[in-house]
Amino acid sequence: MSWTYLCDASEVAPNTLKLVDAKGVRIIVANYGSGFRAMPPICPHMEEPLDESGVIANCVLTCTKHLWAWNLATLEMDGAETEKPLKTYDLKEEDGRLLALVDQELTYDFDEEDDDDDDFFGKG
Amino acid sequence: MTTTSLARADVAAIERVDADRCAITVETRSGTFGFDCATSETLLYAGLAHGLTLPHECATGTCGTCRARVMSGDVEVAWEEAPGAAKLKRDKGDILLCQARALGDCVLRVPSDVAERPLRHQIPAPRPGVVGNLQQLTSDVVHFEIVLAEPMTFDAGQFVVIEAPGLEGGRAYSMVNYGRDLDRLELVVKRKPGGGFGDWINGPLASGANVKVFGPLGRATFHPDEGHDLLMIAGGSGIAGMMSILSRGVRERYFETRKAKVFFGVRTLADGFYLEDFARAIDAGGGNVEVTLALSHEDAGRLDHPDFPTVKLAHGFVHEIAGEAMAGAYDNVMAYIAGPPPMVDGAIRSLIIGGVGRSAIRYDKFG
Repeated sequence: MSWTYLCDASEVAPNTLKLVDAKGVRIIVANYGSGFRAMPPICPHMEEPLDESGVIANCVLTCTKHLWAWNLATLEMDGAETEKPLKTYDLKEEDGRLLALVDQELTYDFDEEDDDDDDFFGKG
Repeated sequence: MTTTSLARADVAAIERVDADRCAITVETRSGTFGFDCATSETLLYAGLAHGLTLPHECATGTCGTCRARVMSGDVEVAWEEAPGAAKLKRDKGDILLCQARALGDCVLRVPSDVAERPLRHQIPAPRPGVVGNLQQLTSDVVHFEIVLAEPMTFDAGQFVVIEAPGLEGGRAYSMVNYGRDLDRLELVVKRKPGGGFGDWINGPLASGANVKVFGPLGRATFHPDEGHDLLMIAGGSGIAGMMSILSRGVRERYFETRKAKVFFGVRTLADGFYLEDFARAIDAGGGNVEVTLALSHEDAGRLDHPDFPTVKLAHGFVHEIAGEAMAGAYDNVMAYIAGPPPMVDGAIRSLIIGGVGRSAIRYDKFG
């Protein structure tokens, strides 16, 4: 496990998303106004690129493709249409630098080679 | 864990009506359902025609929303290269329901919540029809009708998938009209470069042609008893569903108490259509109906339409014009969006940033 530099906090304006390359791992940094989150670069629904499809308002990240949404402050799923949780990396800010704990790349069930039947339903 | 409302064997026993049809069991996040399916129809159409709300959007292979996994049984896939199939895990048995036909009894899994015949759900079915009454509205927009062999009931805002002779697969188009037991669909198509159906409908074979229609489909529907003010943002032929919503609102005097704001995006002044219909709706709305024609590629230098002065003009992309005009005015609004995918995405983004709740946004993406 190692803390990996993502970008400076000042590079991600409030209510925006930034795609960064963290030593070969593509990570989205989200500034939801009162904090930051680091996550895989795709929507857990149908792999939409969240840096293009995502929009943040009132701490809620919404993917505009099918309106799946998550509260970035609590990481709760927001609204009935959202069927899978968002995965995030542990994140810390040091001297204006954002660092994530990137042990291995986070992926969603549909990307895992060993997914079983339960994973297909997003409950694995 | 998934709940199972019926054992598979029971489902098969109930649903199997004759030996030529396949018994389909579908396991979903909200329970297990069964329906039967002819080998000639797609699994999506058969399931929808049974009244299941199987996830889908375009129903034509483009979007990928109707993905499912074949747990047992054999299926045949019509269009292997469908754009929506690009991300499927074929080695796991994943398919697009809109492209697959059963070759025998099958068990499928669908990774979504599914309901069976919910309230207000118009169950779709296949119907033959004949194309007629073609009218050129602009240089690249054609209004046409399909006379159905069997009548269809559909809500304002719904669409159908049309299969035309000689064209592979189907194309989704929203109805301009709405109603109960109608034998005539009014539709509009905008010709796009390389667009198969747009070229076909403009060609010599369209008038009088026999087509297959599947529908009604779509959730971006208008129900007057919901009591919302309406915001409609549409680009190009996406205006079709908005015309049916406006038409129902006018006919039921909805705009005596509720407002409607329509933002219609086209490239230039000459690309605008349905202007007489807009003018009539504005007139009938007595100040509660506003229509703005947003011109993306022309600054007309004036704020009203030269021929239909009650129709406003604006210069810019329709979702941006709508976002600016609506800022801070979203209370009790139900938003309807239709048009090219980038416009739909832009409009959804404007609305969410403007504070509109997701349950107040209705759209169907044909991709």
